[in-house]
Amino acid sequence: MKIQHLSFIFSLLFWQVSQAEITKTISPETQLIEWKFIEHNFELKLIQRLPDQTRSFFEARGFPKNITNDIANSCVFQTISRNNSKDKSQSIQVSLKNWKIKTDQKTQPIKLKEDWQKQWTNSNLKPAAKLAFRWATFPTEQSFEPSGDYNWGMISFGPKPGSTFDLYIEWKNNDQRNRAWIKNISCPKS
Amino acid sequence: MQQYKFTIFCLSLLILFSNTLNAEQLITPLKNKPLAPNLQLPDMDGKTHKLSDYKGQAVIINFWATWCPPCREELPSMNRAWAKIKSQGIAMIAVNVGEDEDTIFTFTGDYPIDFTILLDQSGEEISRWPIKGLPTTFVIDPQGRIVYRAIGGREWDSEELLNLVRALK
Repeated sequence: MKIQHLSFIFSLLFWQVSQAEITKTISPETQLIEWKFIEHNFELKLIQRLPDQTRSFFEARGFPKNITNDIANSCVFQTISRNNSKDKSQSIQVSLKNWKIKTDQKTQPIKLKEDWQKQWTNSNLKPAAKLAFRWATFPTEQSFEPSGDYNWGMISFGPKPGSTFDLYIEWKNNDQRNRAWIKNISCPKS
Repeated sequence: MQQYKFTIFCLSLLILFSNTLNAEQLITPLKNKPLAPNLQLPDMDGKTHKLSDYKGQAVIINFWATWCPPCREELPSMNRAWAKIKSQGIAMIAVNVGEDEDTIFTFTGDYPIDFTILLDQSGEEISRWPIKGLPTTFVIDPQGRIVYRAIGGREWDSEELLNLVRALK
């Protein structure tokens, strides 16, 4: 009987660390959708941002209208990433360079902050605006230690408002590479 | 009856084990303890502060911005922490990234900050620190070395966390 109890408890533990969990919730206040993904202690939240929200955020920080429109119409999500591990040695590494989106037409990389910055090389964008963009967007590469490390930032996935896509994500638990798909993510409409 | 006792015993062990681990989830110790860059920035009154001014003290230094949601979430706990440690030879500094005095002044009407705020308007200072996102907080020891780092917000007024900083003195 004791062995049965132990196996139950160990199977419960195993289930806790090995099962991917994806939930989708709608905010009752804003009607915006949030996707939450958890696997191998990597927690990822993707929260829709209305194009108007993104537009006003960047306009308030000195961006001209043409650029704020470009960003706002690129399916921007507020993204929160966290290391939930209780094991002190379990670092998590994320590189957005490996993430991809799949739409009806094609599979493509996501638009990184470096891609945007390159696009503005010859523009007269104010330094304060560039600075706000750099720190308000999600880092392209980052490590999260198991001491409660987490980060917030915007990611522009690329498709037009109202589009739907599947997101391919990759992360590492120490040197162990993990991957997953989050299906049917929808960009909010204008 | 014995079966139930055994199950409860096993589950209690699990809970105890997970709580012990949680207690250790505070801030990340940096093994190599790199020397902190000698930050030099103006405060809200235009007075220049250097990190070297605080040599001999432990320093908690937080990089933030008013538009950053987790920064807004953790700043009240930093202010409560400051009330506990200000007479204990520990310094606390909030480095605002990229904003002006007016923006910060308006913000502190809703989120009081009683410790030193420094302004890194150009973003040159933050680029000298190992930071990828806001907020990031470092704990500097009295020798000027970075000994702990926290990416994202923390409950800074937790005694457990503050005891790690007090132990550096």
